[in-house]
This record gives sequence, C-alpha cells and structure tokens, in this order.
Amino acid sequence: MTAALALPTRRVEEWKYSDLARALGDAGFGDASARVSAGKVPAGVDVFDLDEPNRPDWVKAHYGKLGGNSVSAVSLAKARGGIALRIPKGKIIEDVLSLNFSGEGHVRALLVLEEGAALTLSEEFGAGEARNAGLEIVLAPNARLDHVRVSPISDAVQVEEISLTLARDAVYRAHFANFGAKLSRTELAIALNGEGAEAHLSGVSVLSDRHADVTTQVSHAVGRTQSTQLFKKVVSGKAQAVYQGKVVVAHGANGSDSRQTAKALLLDGRAEADLKPELEIFADDVKCAHGAAVGDLDADSLFYLRARGIPEKEARHLLIHAFLEDALTDIANADLRESVRGAVSDALNRVSA
Amino acid sequence: MLDIKNLHVAVDGKEILKGLNLRVEAGQVHAIMGPNGSGKSTLSYVLAGRAGYDITEGSISYNGEDLGALPPEERAAKGVFLAMQYPVEIPGVTTMMFLKSALNAQRRSRGEAEMDAIGVLKTVRKKAAALNVSEEMLKRALNVGFSGGEKKRLEILQMALFEPKLAILDETDSGLDIDALRLVAEGVNSLRSPDRAMLVITHYQRLLDYIVPDRIHVLAKGRIVAEGGKELALELEAKGYEQIVKDAA
Amino acid sequence: MSSAALETKETVAGLGEKYKYGFVTDIEMERAPKGLSEDTVRYISAKKSEPDWMLEWRLGAFRRWLSMKEPTWARVHYPAIDYQDSYYYAAPKNTPKKQSLDEVDPKLLETYKKLGIPLHEQMALAGVAVDAVFDSVSVATTFKEKLNEAGVIFCPISEAIRDYPDLVKKYLGTVVPVTDNFFATLNSAVFSDGTFVYVPKGVRCPMELSTYFRINASETGQFERTLIVADEGAYVSYLEGCTAPKRDENQLHAAVVELVALDNAEIKYSTVQNWYPGDENGLGGIYNFVTKRGDCRGARSKISWTQVETGSAITWKYPSCILRGDESVGEFYSIAIANNYQQADTGTKMIHLGKNTRSRIISKGISAGKAQNTYRGLVSVYGKAENARNFTQCDSLLIGGACGAHTVPYIESRNPSARIEHEATTSKIAEDQLFYCLQRGIGQEEAVALIVNGFCKEVLQQLPMEFAVEAQKLVGISLEGSVG
Repeated sequence: MTAALALPTRRVEEWKYSDLARALGDAGFGDASARVSAGKVPAGVDVFDLDEPNRPDWVKAHYGKLGGNSVSAVSLAKARGGIALRIPKGKIIEDVLSLNFSGEGHVRALLVLEEGAALTLSEEFGAGEARNAGLEIVLAPNARLDHVRVSPISDAVQVEEISLTLARDAVYRAHFANFGAKLSRTELAIALNGEGAEAHLSGVSVLSDRHADVTTQVSHAVGRTQSTQLFKKVVSGKAQAVYQGKVVVAHGANGSDSRQTAKALLLDGRAEADLKPELEIFADDVKCAHGAAVGDLDADSLFYLRARGIPEKEARHLLIHAFLEDALTDIANADLRESVRGAVSDALNRVSA
Repeated sequence: MLDIKNLHVAVDGKEILKGLNLRVEAGQVHAIMGPNGSGKSTLSYVLAGRAGYDITEGSISYNGEDLGALPPEERAAKGVFLAMQYPVEIPGVTTMMFLKSALNAQRRSRGEAEMDAIGVLKTVRKKAAALNVSEEMLKRALNVGFSGGEKKRLEILQMALFEPKLAILDETDSGLDIDALRLVAEGVNSLRSPDRAMLVITHYQRLLDYIVPDRIHVLAKGRIVAEGGKELALELEAKGYEQIVKDAA
Repeated sequence: MSSAALETKETVAGLGEKYKYGFVTDIEMERAPKGLSEDTVRYISAKKSEPDWMLEWRLGAFRRWLSMKEPTWARVHYPAIDYQDSYYYAAPKNTPKKQSLDEVDPKLLETYKKLGIPLHEQMALAGVAVDAVFDSVSVATTFKEKLNEAGVIFCPISEAIRDYPDLVKKYLGTVVPVTDNFFATLNSAVFSDGTFVYVPKGVRCPMELSTYFRINASETGQFERTLIVADEGAYVSYLEGCTAPKRDENQLHAAVVELVALDNAEIKYSTVQNWYPGDENGLGGIYNFVTKRGDCRGARSKISWTQVETGSAITWKYPSCILRGDESVGEFYSIAIANNYQQADTGTKMIHLGKNTRSRIISKGISAGKAQNTYRGLVSVYGKAENARNFTQCDSLLIGGACGAHTVPYIESRNPSARIEHEATTSKIAEDQLFYCLQRGIGQEEAVALIVNGFCKEVLQQLPMEFAVEAQKLVGISLEGSVG
C-alpha cells in the first residue's frame, strides 16, 4: 500500500477513538471488491453499473468528485464495479428504493437527484465481511432525499462513508442505526452549498458489545442553511460508542442554523462513550448550539416507575426505549421506521440492562 | 414640541410610512391607533432612531432640532423615551445596574453631575414602589424571565426615572391583564405634565379608557387617515378600522 | 450588584489608550548570551546559585527538549519560532535579592506603580501580598514576614530551591512532568524565576497572594515556574497578572504552573492575563504557551482555576485538574477575549480518577475583529471514578462577521454511574439589545462593555474582589472599536 493510502491509526485526530489500522491488522482491507445491487428500480430511474465501459456524462460529472477522507480515497482507488443511480428532474418516487451491500472489500455507489426529484432510500448491509463502502450523493435544487441506513451487528470491520452535496432548497433527512462491529465507522461529509438547503440527521447506536463510531461533518457554506443532528447511544457490555460531529459555518454564511445533540447511556462498567461535538464558526449572524450528555438512566424516573408497580427490569427497558424514541420518530417513512424499531428492540434484548 | 412633516420611511427598501404628518405640543397626550401593519411600530422606531429605519423623505423636528440627524443615545439624553412593545432581555446585567448606567449616561450627556450608587438606589426605590416593582426584580437580570406585566411596569418605571420630554408608548397594553393595565395606566397618568408630551400607540381602544388622550390619529397604510378627539376611539371600536379607513378614502 | 461593576463602565469610557501598559522601563540589564544551548542552561543555573541536582534536572529537560517537536494541533498559526534568536535570561543589573524594599531600584518601584501594583506595603491593597517578577527575576516580595508568622512560605522559586530544597524536590515536576510537552520541557530547562507557595497543614493563608509578571526587555522570552502546595486542610487564593511593553516583535512566554492540593486542601488560582496583544494590524504581541495543571492529590481537595485572558497575540493554555482524590473538586472558569488578529486556543482538562469527583467548566469566549477564539476541553472519566459529575457550559459571542469562534470538547466516559453534561451556544450581540441600551441613553462602546460583562458575569463573580474591577475594565477596553 502506498503512503497516500495508508490507513489511519488513532494518532490521526479524526480516528482518535477508532484505530482502523489496528482493527484491520497487517492484511489491511485487501484489494477485493464488495458488491452492491439495487432492489426493484422504479420506471424512469437511470441505473448504471460502474464496471461497464463508456460511463454516461452524468456519471462522469459526479463520480469521485466529492472529496472524502483517506479511506474513501482507498475505495475509489480499489473498488471495481458499484452502482450509479439517477432520479431525473421533477421525478417523485413514492416507493422505497433499496440498495444492498454484500461481500468483502471495497465498493462505491453514486446517487444523483436532479432538480425537484424526491426519493426514499433504504440501505442494507450484509453482515460478517470487512467492507469499505463509499457513497456519493448529489442533490440538485429542491431535491429531497429520505435516507435510512441499518448497519447490522458484525465481527468484521465496517467503514461507510457518505459524501453529500446539497444545492439550493434541497433537503436531506437521514437516519443511521448501528448495532456494532469489530470497528464500525459511519462517516458523513455534508456540504450545504445552496441557500435554503437543510440536512437533518438522526441515529441510534445500540451496542451490547463491539464498537460503533458515527462521525459527521456538516459545512454551512452559504447562509440560510439549516442542520440538525440527534444521536442517541445505548452502550452496554464491553462496547465503545463514538460520536464526533463537526459543524462548520463559513465566513458570510449568515442566517445559518445548527443544532447538535449527542447523548449516551452507559449501562456497564466496561463500556465506554466518547463524544466530541465540535463547532467551527466564521460568521456572526448564526444560531448554533450543541449539547452532549453521558450518564446512566435517571434514578428518579426509575424510582417513579417502580413506585407505580413496574418491575425494575421492565422499567429500565421502558426508559431506554424512551431515551431512543425521539431519534426514531425522525424517520419519516412509516415502514422503515417500524423496521428500525424492530431492529432496535432486538438489539435491546441483547443489552444487559 | 414634535413636528413630523411628510415623513416617508423605508425598511429594507420597502416603504412603510408614506407621507405622515403629525404635530404634538408639550402637555398633550396624543394617541396613534391603527390596524396591524399600518406602520405604528415603524413610527416609534424611527422616532427613537433604530438602525435600518431610513427616512427617505420629509422631516422630524423635535424642539426645533432635526431629530433624524441624532444617534439614538443623544435622542434619549434630550428627552425622547420609547417604552417598547417587546422590552429586550440582557442576561447577566442586573436591572439596577442597567438603570444606573442609563441614568448617568444621560446625565453625563447633558453635562449634569452623575449620581452615586446610593443616590440612584434611593430614587429608584421611591418610584418603584408606586409601580409595584419589587426590590427582588431590580436585582434580577434585565427583563430576563420577567412576565409580560413585569416588563411593562419596568418600562414605565424607566420613564418615571428618566423624566423624558417626549414619551412614546408602543403597544404598552399588549399582554397585560386588566389589573396590570390599570397599574401601568396610573403610572403613565401620574407622569402627565405641562412640559411633557406623550404619544400613545395602540391597536385597541381599551387603553384609552385609562389614558385619556387629547387627540387621536388613525394610521393606515403609512398615513394618518383620520383625526379627532377622544370620541374617535369609540367610533373605531364600533365600526372597526376597515370602515373608518374606507370612510376616510 | 457590585459597586465594582458600576465603576467599570464609567472607567471604560474614560480610558483613551487601548493598551495602557505598553511602556518600556529604561533600566540597565544583564543578559545571557543570545540563543539556547547547554551553556545557556548552565548560565541560568549559575546565576541562581543552584544546587547540582537542579542543574542536572534542567540539563535532562534540555536534552529531552532537543528531541521534541513543537505541537501543531491547536488552532493557532504563527511563523516558525527561531529558538536561537532570543535571550533566555535578562535581569536588571545589581539586583541581588533585597531584604528591604528601600533597597530596590526606584525605577522598578516606579514601573510597578505605573502598572497599578504598589510594592510598598503600607500602600498596598489591603490583604494582598505580591511577588514581582521582572523579566527573568523576582525583584520584590511583599508581606513575607507576616506570612511567615502564619507558617506560609511565599517566595521566588529561585530562593525556594536554595532554602527549601526538600519541599521543592518533593513536588517540582510531579504534576507537570519534565517530559510533558514541548513548551513545558523547554520551561523546565530554562525557567529563571517564578513563585513558590507552601501553605502548611490546617493553615488558611491570611491574605491573597499574587505574582505580577512583567516582560520588559526586548528579544527576551519569559519562562517562569510556579509551584503551589496546599498541605492537608490548607487554603490559599492566588492571583497572577501579566503585562508587557508594546513592541513590533513577538516575544515568547512559556510558563509552567503546578498546583498540589492534599487532603481537604483548597487552592483558588486566578489569572488576569493582559500581555501585549499586538496592534490592530496583528504586528507584535506575546506568544503565550503555558502549561498549567493542578493535582487534587488528596481526598476532598479542591482546585479552582479562574482566568481572564485578554492579552497575547497567541494564547495556548489549558489549566487542568487531575481529580485523583476521592470527592475532590475541579473548577475552570474562563473568559477569553480575542480582538483584531489575536488567536486564542484555550480550555481545560478535567481528569476524573477518584470516586465522587466533581468538575465544573464555565467558558465564555468573545471574538471580535479578525480574531480566532477556540475552546478546547477534555472531560475524561476513568473506570474507577464512581459517581463522577461534570457540568460544562461553553458560550461564544461573536462581534462582527470577520472573526471565528470554535468549540472542541472531548467527552470520554468509562463509568456508568458518572454523569456528564455539556452545553454550548454561539451568538452575537443582538441588534435589539444594543438598540435598547442606546434608546436609554447608553453609548455604543459602553453598551458593548455592559452586554459583554453581562455575558461573562458567572466567571467575573469568581474573581477575588480586588481584581474583579480590573478584569471588568479590561473586558471593555479589549473590545473598544469592535462595533461600529
């Protein structure tokens, strides 16, 4: 592996809580390519297999254009194949479009929503294989994307990187549910490049063991842009939950509005939570705030429920569900919301509350 | 005292006041009534000198001086007081400290000797009691966590303290229940004096039951469209703004 | 409401000059040869007539430093520092330690008088003892006898090394190890003076202690070292002030402060840092790279840092607490103001090791002009820190659209019974707040000072009364011309 493609260790600030080089060991990611396929593709959606020659102009215009971190450079360099999708101008797709990732190795996907297009995207990841998946999303003016990603429990290394650019009045709404891997990193780089653009991120990590790192960077490049983030972590066993969120408001981006919340429930003496909500503000007419908290379940609430006759174990579960609830209600699509709820419930049954 | 001629005012390039004329003499209380969006608050802000309210045409003469040329703090020192519809919260600055800062800044500007902390405290206490402004309120940060009634009482207390020559009361009745309204009105009435003019800006007639004006002006679409004595308020209440504005057109 | 608060704003308006400590004292100086080598270290040690163990300690640090790299992780940018292009020792000539203030060079007394620090005890602020450090040496220490009666040692560290070697050996370098970081290691090699405080068991120090640091000589760095030990049940409140002349060049200040609090002891450490910040074009100013750390070594001990950082071209400073003792308490109250081209990267670390440890962080950052102001903080709860508690409130205020305000908190917890809460906000001085003040007759600059002092109130309240007034004035002065 060349120096430029060296994998980060925890001495690299952005990977302080996730030692990728160590988790992968000497073998690294290797050179294999994983696979990605789309489920039922509605009429009017352009699909292109990145393995094919003669890429169309819309793929050439966007593929590999959004800079990412060193790891996405690796997937760009090594991935063969992958998928590119385009939702044409004004096309509003009601059905959920699903992308399924499987196999071991590097993989890339590109999603372009043209002006005024709307889509709900659901992603599923096959468990058990080390994977480095890079996804680029381009939202043209007024495009709307609802995105739900569920990353299953896995004993391999899972690195998922999303780079996203939003034009004027485009709206991105995303939810990330993580259940832990040997090393799990979900990294988002979002550029709000047009006025009126909005990104609303939420996520839950329910860990009975293992590691899950959600790292976000939201850049308010222009004014009148909005971002919200709400990430909740339930950490038990010998798990480590990480949230690193950086909000950047560029010089002159007045009227930017950003709110960031990260909370972790630590349920075990061997568990660890690391939160780093970061603000980088270069404009004065902004509303930016963040909050973070780590702790156990609230003793008063627990007592209240028990005093009303609810057994402790049940009361704890009730409170943990309540803790996660506001992050889950942010999922707009009812079917996907219920499916994430189901996955969360399963995960909570593994949690030693 | 106040003579406004053909006043045009634009906010963000949009003309809000479109040729307003108004004359108020010392000792008089005038009421400005008008529907929402007629330009009432714009008038109060332009008199106080808020940035962003641009006089594009016409003039405001105050005791023979061009008011529009003065920065807001000089207007205040010269006796222009605006009781605001939404008094502003300033965290960490106690009310008492704010009052002393403002009082002494005005005195300094007029070339008068400043008052020491004890002098200010005594003066404020005396006036605060009449308005039911408690000692505890004075210790709290300015307007922070105050109820609507508390904020308005504090505005009137400041009016009593600074003894302005021209007092502008912008929607002072909004958000007040009947007891609070009476208390505030009593405070205002006690400040009526032959050398003080007042401009009472209100949407509703009910405030004028308590503060009886010498003259009423109806403001609509940036102009005075009707004028009259105190009975005009009752007519407005009965007919509604729409009819009066129509009648005037 | 404090009368101090009122006085502040009145004074703000009256002060014409923005940096009133920018004068130079013309006094004959003795310097080490320019540059840094083992010879420089030996020169300083010899000047101080130090024992061999101290020289060896310094040389060890120097050799270590040669292998270290300057840290680059902070959000501060400056041209590379040439460590050979500076003097590491500069002292007024003929200043063997004086027994009486009457023997101190009148020029020095005059300097401190101009700085508002009267060294004549009869004129001094009631209840404040002062150690005055001028460039590389302590020139006067007041109230020593009175403190001696209470058993409190308050003296220049150079004196302590000679007179109390056992105490110094026992504690020096135990909180900030010689190898801690680039600047601390440099300091360990070349520190020339500073203050030593020891408060014995059960003693409540009868007065405020204070060190006043003055950089006077040009092309000279200041490297002071402060060590404060509060023995079991002791209490001490200590304040440092700092100023320097206006110069076009950048001067390096790399201090180390170590605090040790044993069982039930409490140390309150306050700083009003007003080093020359450079001019409005960013020319000149002090590079302030400081390592400050307190060790709550004993059970139920408490260390509280309060800082008002208004000066320096660059501030790189993270006063921290190691909460080792069970039930120990750490506090960090900070105001950091950066105007013009100043860059501040400051914050704290609260390391919870013991059970039932508590920490509180209140940080108020104000950015104006083209300045960059960063809060950087770590709250770390280790596995054995049962029931640890932290609360952090971190607020930034921006004045004007050309500056930056940044918040970089790290929160790490490994104990489920611990509770950590962090809140941060960013705002500007609201136009309606300013207008409200103006409408009531308060002028622009005074209104800004008033609103900003309100924003900082929680921190200003932590300062000893004697210094709160100066701090509030500074807040106003530092922001003059920032709105308009």
